[in-house]
Amino acid sequence: MKISRLTRRLLMLLAASALLLGIPAAATAFASSATMGTGWIRLAHLSPNTPAVDVYLYSFGNSNAMIVLHHVAYGTVSPYESVQAGDYSVAMRAAGASATSQPVLSTSVTIAAGHAYTVAGMGPESGLRLQVLDDKLTTPSGQALVRVIQASLKDQVVKVTLGSTVLASSLKFANVSAYQPVSPGTVTVTVSAGAGAGEANSSVTLAAGTVHTLVVLDGANGLEVVSLEDASGSGEPPLGGVSTGFGGTAGHGPGSPVPWLAAIGAGGLLALTGGLRLRRNRQLSTGI
Amino acid sequence: MPTRWPAAALALAAGLVVIAGATTGLLLTRHGTPALRPPAPGVGALPAPTGPIVAVPQSATPKPVAAPVSLTIPLIGVRTNLITLGLTSDGELQVPTSYTIAGWYTGSPRPGAIGSSIIIGHIDGHHLPGVFWRLDTLTRGDKIYVKRADGTTVEFRVTSVQEYLKDHFPTEDVYGPVPDAELRLITCGGTFDLATGHYLSNFVVYATEVG
Repeated sequence: MKISRLTRRLLMLLAASALLLGIPAAATAFASSATMGTGWIRLAHLSPNTPAVDVYLYSFGNSNAMIVLHHVAYGTVSPYESVQAGDYSVAMRAAGASATSQPVLSTSVTIAAGHAYTVAGMGPESGLRLQVLDDKLTTPSGQALVRVIQASLKDQVVKVTLGSTVLASSLKFANVSAYQPVSPGTVTVTVSAGAGAGEANSSVTLAAGTVHTLVVLDGANGLEVVSLEDASGSGEPPLGGVSTGFGGTAGHGPGSPVPWLAAIGAGGLLALTGGLRLRRNRQLSTGI
Repeated sequence: MPTRWPAAALALAAGLVVIAGATTGLLLTRHGTPALRPPAPGVGALPAPTGPIVAVPQSATPKPVAAPVSLTIPLIGVRTNLITLGLTSDGELQVPTSYTIAGWYTGSPRPGAIGSSIIIGHIDGHHLPGVFWRLDTLTRGDKIYVKRADGTTVEFRVTSVQEYLKDHFPTEDVYGPVPDAELRLITCGGTFDLATGHYLSNFVVYATEVG
């Protein structure tokens, strides 16, 4: 009977110390930025012979536009807009056309949380289409990421190099190259359309941890290249979390009882020694 | 040997005094100190900084923004200059040596430029609350201001406040690229591990520039 009571006490003590040791910390809920439920979208006009347009963004099934961009001309790429994840539709109307008129073009786009998209009007006016591009938001550590959108109608096939790196050897009009990781630095972009044809040069600075899109356009005189910084983060992400606290406002459990117990023990020894000596002295004195 | 009497009696008396004192000490130290909790947001609030709020228009060739010099979070009474922080030789983020000042990680974008800008500060010192003591009381929509070296101020709104165990710190979510101008304020929190002298969690406040 006694043993079982002792066991029960020990178990209770163990349970209590487990609670004190902060095991509840494991129960905290963790959520990534994706669970914040937002993504990004931007709109672009990249069809050389299509006049300016008005671009509308609708939450799917809602006839009131969330965003309207007026008089968007060829070569324009809007900033990213942060929106709730979900289904949307994008419509293009001739610049100045009534918001209720039949759109020239429309498409649907599903925005996933934590992801970014470019919806661009691409191709020649006769074959204009809205293309949804998936924009990357991660880079290999210490590198930049670059892709090319070919939106030149005059020079329909181009070669694009970044320093000595070939980004695209023969990129056709209205096509998009794959992303390519490159070393950070300031380099020259060269767009060429073959022997005797136009060529464009531009200096771009690519920092580590950034994502870029180079857009090849028909300029007033020959080719033009525009460099867009799509996204940026820490080129060298720090390892792990940060140590930003010394504990001055944290709760503390009772201090260790060991020093006090040791002092009690030492006091006991001292008292015992004195007491014994006292008794011996008394015995000695009575013996004489 | 009567001369031994006083020494022996003294030892007995001293021993009893020590026992009494140590027992009292033991009994008096059996309770812990509760955690110091920050006051509610709004208590000790500061006014928003004056001067123009500037959002740099995004374009194909964005103008470079100036380096950050100070941080104000009116609702929780934070007003601090910003120091610059790099990485340690181990690749970890440097922390300010003072618990009363916050710092900007120079390897992250500048506040107001495209990308996720990183500012960190201590929750506390060895005895007193630190600059980011009340950070975890912020909620969605609260305002944060960063003043820059050229005198311009950029305004952010809190979008989310998250707690992560340091063992499960989401490096990509916090430090990875984003396509708009964002700010992450980081401090410690959660359970304080007496054995290591560190908190087990980090609090991250996510904020986006008001365009």
